[in-house]
Amino acid sequence: MVKFRIPMRQVLYFKLMDESSEKAILVEHLSKNFEVIEKKEGFLGSISSLVSAKKKVVRALKNASFSLREGELVGFIGPNGAGKTTALKVLSGLLYPTAGFVQVLGFDPWDKKPEFLKKIALVMGQKNQLWWDLPAQETFELNRAIYEIPKNKYKENLSELIELLQVRKLLNIQVRKLSLGQRMRLELVASLLHHPSVLFLDEPTIGLDVVAQQKIRDFIFDYNKRYKATIILTSHNMRDLIDLTKRIIVIDKGGIIFDGKLTDLVGEFAKEKIIKVYFSKEVDVRKLEGVGKLKRFDFPQAIISVPREASAVAAAELLQNFPIADLTIEEEAIEDIIRRVFRGEKIKKVRH
Amino acid sequence: MKKYLSIFNISFQQEFAYRINFIMWRVRNVLQIFLVFFLWDAVFKDPGRVVFGYNREGILTYVLGLIIVKSFVFSSKSMDVAGEISRGELSNYLVKPVSYFKYWITRDLSSKSLNLSFAFFETLFLFLILKPSFFIQTDPILLIFFLLSLILAFSLFSLLLFIVSAITFWMPEAGWGAHFLISIISVEFMSGALFPLDILPHFLQRIVNYTPFPYMVFFPMQVYLGKILDSAAVKGILISGLWILVLYFIMTLVWRKGLKVYEAYGR
Repeated sequence: MVKFRIPMRQVLYFKLMDESSEKAILVEHLSKNFEVIEKKEGFLGSISSLVSAKKKVVRALKNASFSLREGELVGFIGPNGAGKTTALKVLSGLLYPTAGFVQVLGFDPWDKKPEFLKKIALVMGQKNQLWWDLPAQETFELNRAIYEIPKNKYKENLSELIELLQVRKLLNIQVRKLSLGQRMRLELVASLLHHPSVLFLDEPTIGLDVVAQQKIRDFIFDYNKRYKATIILTSHNMRDLIDLTKRIIVIDKGGIIFDGKLTDLVGEFAKEKIIKVYFSKEVDVRKLEGVGKLKRFDFPQAIISVPREASAVAAAELLQNFPIADLTIEEEAIEDIIRRVFRGEKIKKVRH
Repeated sequence: MKKYLSIFNISFQQEFAYRINFIMWRVRNVLQIFLVFFLWDAVFKDPGRVVFGYNREGILTYVLGLIIVKSFVFSSKSMDVAGEISRGELSNYLVKPVSYFKYWITRDLSSKSLNLSFAFFETLFLFLILKPSFFIQTDPILLIFFLLSLILAFSLFSLLLFIVSAITFWMPEAGWGAHFLISIISVEFMSGALFPLDILPHFLQRIVNYTPFPYMVFFPMQVYLGKILDSAAVKGILISGLWILVLYFIMTLVWRKGLKVYEAYGR
């Protein structure tokens, strides 16, 4: 009888391979610390910190875990400095994780294997790769060589991207002479020429006017659909999130505090409900203050926000004590919740 | 390989995008040559004079040769590397399937080949008007040694620059200072770019000869002038070759460590 023995490590490896074949991105217990040297103020301060530098550890990511299926488009949201960009930088191999496991398309990003790098792109709204003094066309050619894109494939991809982003007229103009919005679209072309299947977009619409924002958004939507590309997007732009992402991950102080459908965010985080009433007769505004937070009063309509658990009581009170024609109880608007997330306001899960 | 040819190409075009800049730079070079020529020409008015073992012809060849060798070895685009690390622009390259070191070497070669081709015509032109008594090496073996030593000198300097630039990983603001200290002071001073090193006392020369510095300027010049022959030339080339290996090892080590603490600044 012949026995086959597979070593344990091999089994684990197969298991891992198996899991990762479904997951485009797999992050487990990821932590990233930065060492920051604290500077004292003023001239003498800088001299003294030369001699005795005080080091402080900043924990940019703490034990974060999440995963993305192939073709998923996920939004990262959170206040400034929450760790969103850090996460993207770890995923694209720029930062070395302090602890945890990261896998993108089956690769460890840190290894920076050419096969891996050819499949991803990191686009940062505030960083540019286009050569400032030359027309964008030249950078495209350079990227064609760097990513070793075959000539006909390159032509095909380029004309498609040019079409989608409407930049045909801009190709031969020196980059320095372009507007921010035009440049951003060309940056996208440069970053996507190699058709990455995983895309990390960091604030892609920052600083753009409304029309340009919409163009970029339409494009991201299209690219995701057309190529089943896996995309992570960070943004402070409400419309980006609402229009593009079904699933969002909320990061605050380096930890993930929500991971789920955008629509569920409201249920999880809304502390308040909104009561809209229409009065049949004039009422005393001051009396309304007793019921809840009066957000707007514009006779005959009033909008009052009340704590979730007190909404029924408040509604009853209103019906009893005021001449009411109509009353509705609504959830807090998604925009308000996201706004609270951006502000870094403490958001806690609400138990129902 | 094709990758780097493309980088070479775009780098070349970039150079031309700054046409005025480039022309000014060349004019500055020509003026510098004039200046140096007239200075040393005045010092050595008396044709029989010998200072530090250099006669008129020897010193003129040394200083003019110096300008050419320096412009080949030191005029480095990769001076920007420290800045790119501290500004976080390094990230642009790290996410692409391209070697950052080779990228800069290619850009350097591109800018050097452009500058060299201009330098060639300028030198020819100056030669015709100044008619200097310039020593022309005719021994083909020494010329080959000279070319080889130039390539080694360029490699040594690039490696050293990359090692020094890596300081920026740990000290983003102090990077430039360290850069200055090492690349300007020690390299200029100890390489023979300021004065021929053989005017130093013997024991100092001995020590300096085991550092990588003299192999960047002084050694190639001496080979050209025919002051270092056969076995001494081979020895020098071996020493600089050895240094290249050592520095390459140090560079990969330092960069591997540096990239781990790299914070991809910028936001």
